[in-house]
Amino acid sequence: MVANKSSTSVRQRVEFFVSLGILALIAVLPTMVTNAYWQGVVIVSMYFAMLAAAWNLLAGYTGQFSLAPATFGMIGAYVTGLLSYYYGATAIVGIPAAVIVAGVIGLSLGRIVMRLRGPYLALTTLSFAEIMRLVISNSIDITRGDLGLNVPGIFQGRLAYYYMMLAVLVAIQIGLYFLLRSRGGLYLRAIRDDEIAAASRGVKIVWWKTYAFTLSAAISGLAGALYGHFAQFISPELGLLSQSGIIISMVVIGGLGTLVGPIGGAFLVYVTSEFLRDFGGYQLVVFAFLVIIFGRFFREGLWGLLRAAFGERRSLPPVVQAASE
Amino acid sequence: MLTLDLLINGFVIGVFYALMAIGLSLIFGILKVVNFAHGEFYMVGAYAYTLTALMLGISPWLSLPFAFFVGLVVGLIVERLLMRPLYSGYTSWGLMRDEYAVIVTFGLSLFLINLVDKIVGPYAFKGPALVDISRIALGPILISGHRLIAAVVAASIIVVVALVIRFSFWGRQIQAVAQNRLGASLAGIDTAKASAIVFSLAGGLAAVSGALLANIFNATPDVGVFPAIKSYVIVVLGGMGSVPGSIIASIILGVLESFGGVYISYQYRDTFGLFILILFLLFRPQGLFGEKAREV
Repeated sequence: MVANKSSTSVRQRVEFFVSLGILALIAVLPTMVTNAYWQGVVIVSMYFAMLAAAWNLLAGYTGQFSLAPATFGMIGAYVTGLLSYYYGATAIVGIPAAVIVAGVIGLSLGRIVMRLRGPYLALTTLSFAEIMRLVISNSIDITRGDLGLNVPGIFQGRLAYYYMMLAVLVAIQIGLYFLLRSRGGLYLRAIRDDEIAAASRGVKIVWWKTYAFTLSAAISGLAGALYGHFAQFISPELGLLSQSGIIISMVVIGGLGTLVGPIGGAFLVYVTSEFLRDFGGYQLVVFAFLVIIFGRFFREGLWGLLRAAFGERRSLPPVVQAASE
Repeated sequence: MLTLDLLINGFVIGVFYALMAIGLSLIFGILKVVNFAHGEFYMVGAYAYTLTALMLGISPWLSLPFAFFVGLVVGLIVERLLMRPLYSGYTSWGLMRDEYAVIVTFGLSLFLINLVDKIVGPYAFKGPALVDISRIALGPILISGHRLIAAVVAASIIVVVALVIRFSFWGRQIQAVAQNRLGASLAGIDTAKASAIVFSLAGGLAAVSGALLANIFNATPDVGVFPAIKSYVIVVLGGMGSVPGSIIASIILGVLESFGGVYISYQYRDTFGLFILILFLLFRPQGLFGEKAREV
């Protein structure tokens, strides 16, 4: 096992417990927020938090900058949606099927792009995302296209959805923590930091990258399926590039490559954007601006700023160097 | 007759694609990153053209250079504010460059789309036509007057840009920086200036492309998304960084889509290019004409 005393593992433990703290706050929130609308907002934030955590595993920990984070959510939602539409399958069948299908598609995408890097990877995943969305939105005979699809609900009350989403999110977070603590997590970070060096030390690059792609896609598929059953309506808009942009914003604002970042970022961005909606709807402008600012100047997001405030060292190498160096 | 019609129409669309893709290709050549906000330069141009022509009532022939100018300025600002970190610390470029470029340009794209959506509104504006003739007979086929004139304008701009890049002093500097940034800077070339020129030129070209097409695809905040995706396909197809490659690839894509839309499937015509993109990235990432630049 990885030495437990290393600074990375200490930092990860801190991040993990802070993120659990955030989730504990979310758990007691319904005692204060009884308004069904705002509970719904938090449920949707949890959907985004799952997608953000999945994307962070891929981009933040493995260095694979996919531009298709929302696509796998859409795939998951459509798998369970179509199963219930055509075969009357219940969520018990639909949700695992969504996870498996999304995982298999993620696996094949991972195999396809495993040799591509940087801009090539971003372009391939971008075109994959657009192809999936166009296929779903144009296959009107099967998916009803842009009309969307009605999905049956699971529970009667909103709180049941709330705690189901929360339980899944906590499970994902715990799973990711143990994955990142394990040898596999070390390999993923090694691939992110220097792929050639990692390969030269015997890390099976292809295997671990595919693993990260598959796992990330499966988590996203799960998130999408749960969201579909909660919203009871899905449309190809779930896979729009702007949705992927929102997920990326959440991770970048929260802190890329940290366990807290996606969780904190998702709640912060989504809940704030619901607040801002009453003030002229400038939320996306503000968040896109913040993404540029954070990407440009504060590469570790809000969590990095918080850690800097407590005097800790940066964990990612700074990209911005002085011109004269 | 249908074949000829499709060929001409595909060719005309290809010329517009080329106008946009050249800039993206030049940016990739010089900075080795993909500008994911390229479609928003196009969108800015479409709005600059349409709004000045409609609101101020000036001739579209004046709005067109204005759109180019706006694109130049936006490109220059973006380069100064956001692209500098990509090369200012050249010696310490880490593996994080690509991820930085993706985050910043993708964020910029979201920012500009939503900003325009808030300021101008989500309504579509139809750009005025450059000429009033509705149909011109081009041999046996008929083509819309605006489309033909716009294609001629686009083609002339492409020729001028290609010649400038190939033969002018600035153009040669740009080529040198694209080949080897460090080497070019040792030879006394101001690489920062070359990057600024390329970025603002790319912005201007995309903006003109948006302006010329504003009559066909009305200006909306997200009008640039599809042209940008086409440009990504084109730069990969033609070889990232190769200007002649992008021109040829644009024509190929335009004609392919034109035929595919009739003979294969009209519904899925926008996915052809994306399939081509994936196939090329997998089997020939250097494109038709590019040099092999992929790291394995």
